[in-house]
Amino acid sequence: MPINIIIFGQLADIAGGSLALENIADTNSLVKELHILYPALATAKYAIAVDKKVVNENTRLTENSIVALLPPFSGG
Amino acid sequence: MKERKPKNIFVQGPIAASFIADSIEKHKSKTDIGGHSIFLGQVRADKIGGREVSCIEYTTYEEMALEKMHAIREDIFSKYDLTCMHVYHSLGKVSAGEISLFVFTSSVHRKAAIDACEETVERIKTELPVWGKELFSDETHQWKVNQ
Repeated sequence: MPINIIIFGQLADIAGGSLALENIADTNSLVKELHILYPALATAKYAIAVDKKVVNENTRLTENSIVALLPPFSGG
Repeated sequence: MKERKPKNIFVQGPIAASFIADSIEKHKSKTDIGGHSIFLGQVRADKIGGREVSCIEYTTYEEMALEKMHAIREDIFSKYDLTCMHVYHSLGKVSAGEISLFVFTSSVHRKAAIDACEETVERIKTELPVWGKELFSDETHQWKVNQ
């Protein structure tokens, strides 16, 4: 089952606005895979949200997880 | 405390001065209010390496932003004795000199409105998933960084 990832702000300039990746068990393996596919992401600053909540620890992903890559916020 | 549902805060394009005036006007009937505090964020024509910002294009992760704004609103209402609070943020292009953020708090006595307004603005800047892309007049761009 693919994991769907939505990508925002300057990160979308690097990796496009969305991605679907197969065989991703958790957020640590997602990051590893993303940095192989898009080396520029490895030096970018971003947070990961799972189901609209920012996660700071490795988090298990399922086919229903909504994963988002969030660069530093700059609203206002 | 009464239940508040997540409200949409986003407006397409700049926030018009007439919209702000109407918002103020609407509070005439709430005669228990003794003070309003308003913050208006305006797009600045920053000059960077000979280029000048002509507008900022805002995007958001809307579902997450509205949930987060709802949580901020709940926190602020539980911390300050507010009568009401209104927040509007632009999406899409807003030109230099135009308004992109409007925060409006009201209370019986001024202090709650002033403090709540300031804290809400700070939390919007640091916690809402919104991004500003600064577009220069020569068609190049850079991503805004909040200070």
